[in-house]
Amino acid sequence: MPDHQSHTSPAEKNVAELQLDGVWRVVVLNDPVNLMSYVVLVFKKVFGFDDATARKHMMEVHEQGRSVVWVGLREKAEAYAFTLQQWHLTATLEPDETH
Amino acid sequence: MKRIEVKLSLPVVAPLLDVIRELSDRLGKGLAAPLALSDLDEEFRESWVAELLASQGADVQTLLALFNDEFFTEGVVAFDEENAEPILRACAAIRLTLREKFLRKLGDETLESGEIDLEGLEEPVRRAFMCYLFLATVQELIIQHLDTSILDS
Repeated sequence: MPDHQSHTSPAEKNVAELQLDGVWRVVVLNDPVNLMSYVVLVFKKVFGFDDATARKHMMEVHEQGRSVVWVGLREKAEAYAFTLQQWHLTATLEPDETH
Repeated sequence: MKRIEVKLSLPVVAPLLDVIRELSDRLGKGLAAPLALSDLDEEFRESWVAELLASQGADVQTLLALFNDEFFTEGVVAFDEENAEPILRACAAIRLTLREKFLRKLGDETLESGEIDLEGLEEPVRRAFMCYLFLATVQELIIQHLDTSILDS
């Protein structure tokens, strides 16, 4: 996992840091290729979900096109998104406005 | 170490390896699944992509290593705790790329259902779809027999 290196000026950095503050959601998007059993395994492997939780999120992805699989600080959310990408699942991050 | 050996039909699988080898070159240059994060700064994004490409390339090499002398003499490939994870990922990467390059016109619903008249497909698409199904079978085999090893590793 690469380190996040910032090259912004101090003023810009404050804005960037503010934008990255708060709580973020890791959202997995549907694709028509990856097998349901594969997605379940990846969720169990990456997030440590039990079988029922992994299946619930997989079905959300399959039926609704997306599932929020993790919520928390930006740095860890990025790490999860990177790992999901290594497994060829498409993941995005979005700010959690509820916090 | 848990290990499963699978006997494959050489005449069926050998032609599919050409498809996999051709796509492995493509996978050395681009990610199978597009990076969907739009707010990464450019330097960070480049670093991510480089690392993901290296990981993707290593996974595909592990898959290709399955088809060694033993495969071409006995038709046998072996999955174990060490190669299961990279092969699972490599199969996913190649299936995604097969869709992009050959199978998009079949439509996603058809692709998901797998209900396709093989005889009605043109040769490059037919071979790509056979490869797509073969790699899905490999994934199912690994998940069925080695999922505990993957989750515990």
